[in-house]
Amino acid sequence: MADLSFTEEELEEIERLKDKFPTAKAATLRVLWLAQNKYGHVKDEVQRLVAETLDLPKAHVHGVARFYTQYYKEEKGKFVLDVCTCLSCQLCGGYDILHHLEDELDIEAGETTDDGMFTINEVECLGACGYAPMLQVTNGVYVNNLTKEKVDKLIKNLRNGNMPEFESMAMPELEKRNQAASE
Amino acid sequence: MPEVFIDGKRYEYDEEKDEMLLQFIMDQGLEVPFFCYHPSMSIPANCRQCMVKVGTPVKDRETGEFELDEDGERKIRWFPKFQTSCSTRLQDGMVVLTQESSEEVARAQKDNLEFILINHPLDCPICDQAGECPLQIQTYKYGPEGSRFEVKKVHKPKHVDLGPRVTLDAERCINCTRCVRFTEEISETHQLTIVDRGDSNYPTTGPGETFDDPYSLNTVDICPVGALTSTDFRFKARVWEMNQTPSIDITNGKGCNVDLWTRDNEVLRITPRQNEEVNDYWMPDVGRTAYERFNENRVDRPSIKLDGDNQSNTSWNNAIETFAEILEAHDSSDITIIGSPHASVEENYVFNKFFNLLGTSNAKFTPHIIPGSGDGFLITDDQAPNTNGCRVINLDETDNDTIKATVSGAKVVIILSDDLIGREVLSSSDLNDSYTISFATNNTDTTKASDLVIPITCVAEHTASYVNVDGRIQRSYPAKETKYTNRRLNLEMSEGRLDRFGTNFDNWVSEENKVDCLPVWDFLNKLGDRLGLDFEYNHSREIFSELSDSLDILNDVSYERMDNEKGVQLPIKQEEVKA
Repeated sequence: MADLSFTEEELEEIERLKDKFPTAKAATLRVLWLAQNKYGHVKDEVQRLVAETLDLPKAHVHGVARFYTQYYKEEKGKFVLDVCTCLSCQLCGGYDILHHLEDELDIEAGETTDDGMFTINEVECLGACGYAPMLQVTNGVYVNNLTKEKVDKLIKNLRNGNMPEFESMAMPELEKRNQAASE
Repeated sequence: MPEVFIDGKRYEYDEEKDEMLLQFIMDQGLEVPFFCYHPSMSIPANCRQCMVKVGTPVKDRETGEFELDEDGERKIRWFPKFQTSCSTRLQDGMVVLTQESSEEVARAQKDNLEFILINHPLDCPICDQAGECPLQIQTYKYGPEGSRFEVKKVHKPKHVDLGPRVTLDAERCINCTRCVRFTEEISETHQLTIVDRGDSNYPTTGPGETFDDPYSLNTVDICPVGALTSTDFRFKARVWEMNQTPSIDITNGKGCNVDLWTRDNEVLRITPRQNEEVNDYWMPDVGRTAYERFNENRVDRPSIKLDGDNQSNTSWNNAIETFAEILEAHDSSDITIIGSPHASVEENYVFNKFFNLLGTSNAKFTPHIIPGSGDGFLITDDQAPNTNGCRVINLDETDNDTIKATVSGAKVVIILSDDLIGREVLSSSDLNDSYTISFATNNTDTTKASDLVIPITCVAEHTASYVNVDGRIQRSYPAKETKYTNRRLNLEMSEGRLDRFGTNFDNWVSEENKVDCLPVWDFLNKLGDRLGLDFEYNHSREIFSELSDSLDILNDVSYERMDNEKGVQLPIKQEEVKA
């Protein structure tokens, strides 16, 4: 791979990030994130670039990148679908959704489609048990209360380049409680 | 004095030392099991093994008096959960229950061990750490009898070459992070990190990096399991077969305190011995390779140059006779003697004294210094262990050119244990016109160019003292037998199990590793006999006591003091490095 580098603007952004923290070491997470947004992954060479930019030990950046699953240490599809199969989602059909996706895209969990569009991951709880089953698109938007139809529509939209909108989930019980408290 | 109660017993502690509970407990000779704690590094408290029950007495806020229960004992407010003793700071009146007095604590430690062992392979029979493994020892002492974990263990990379000298078995790792902290805090190369998480984490280097830290093998020593092993020593010997003898690192001027591990008179590995004044718990990797020069390429029996450049082994009698004839045939002013910063204080002293008795001028020596090779930590510019020792006994310090000039004018050159040709002070042609006699431990370019070579004992075979770059005098013990010493008779030598229980008929006992050599003083005794000199030293102890009687600087120094105080600091400063 050709030598990687950050552009002037990115370097300025990194300086800004560094200023937010007492040490450059503390900015590792944010800068790795910035790098992942740029390259779509933080493979070894990207980690090296981050370490050199921040003047940190390569081993440290490597350790951080390897710790968090949200940093991709290999190239992934354009859209990474993290399907939750933890307890609540599982009970509400998380595996059905996962298997449906696998059939639909003709890949196994953990794999990427040949056209490089989609990667499916089976993940643990994403903290959205109230609207299970759910999945997350590329470390971003949650798609909640999934059904097979909803998944098909999501795939179609994504293929056309339409990201799902952020959904504000109502929590009726909580609202009721809040209401009661305010009265 | 503030007080602390451990298992019902009262101890006083020094508030100013700001000690942690675990360290204090160990300082009292008590024990709490632990893995990740190391006295010279930061405290992450991540192994969770040193759990104890801790409480503080309840005080009446108004009166400041201790509240008492109905029995008149102080009321104790226990911490809601067990504390890791390594990271608990001592407090006045603190009450501590360890596994010795609390079943709860014993149970907690046992359960923690069961957790640690979940994914730890039970391959102790083939693991190099077995026998000196904190995990093994503590599992025996405090661990569960078996595991309730019946599913498949997690598999991780095995035999990974982290660097040129360290091999990793990630499955055995318990992620105590001692190695990572070592590279961050002690050697400061930052080469290691822990990757991945949960049950699949293990230490490794950064992408594309290799663990070539000049101190990398210290991580092997501090690894509490067999995860990091020395690539060189791996599978060579079980620890309980070996024999451990305290000694001094002779590969540079720092004089790191070390242990020599021998089996059948072969030094198999060298590990650091703790001395906070010199090397703490550490030593450079280079120092550990010195075992090769103790075992291999030794000068074994005297050798003599007969015709042309052919050297041939000869008898001690012939060597002594030849030596004596050469000395008798030459005027003492034609004899040049060269001492050595690579030899001990005692060797240099008797060497110089013997030839001075014959009328030669004082021995010269040239320091072996490579400027810029040191790192300010444990690797020094000085390549020799005893440069200051030569200064202490007042040998003439000269530079390389002076040595060259003196040698070229001399008819007889006598060199003590210094590879002057190998380190490019002399070239072999410089010795062509003179009769050259070398006292040497190893075959070198200098011994090759010598007319007579007398094999002498190395640091692993004799008791002798060395003065390091900071002016600290420390001594070695014999670890390895020569043809003429015997472990069972020499009470200074330690005996390993195989030494103690072996006989000459056992297949683990051999003569091969005993070198046919003598201490310098022993040889000079014999030579003195032949020449009719009044010269007799039976032990280096005699030499040293003569030295301490005659030199002010060594006045109150003795082997006993060196042993008791882990070396004695002499009132000398490091002199300017002369290249």
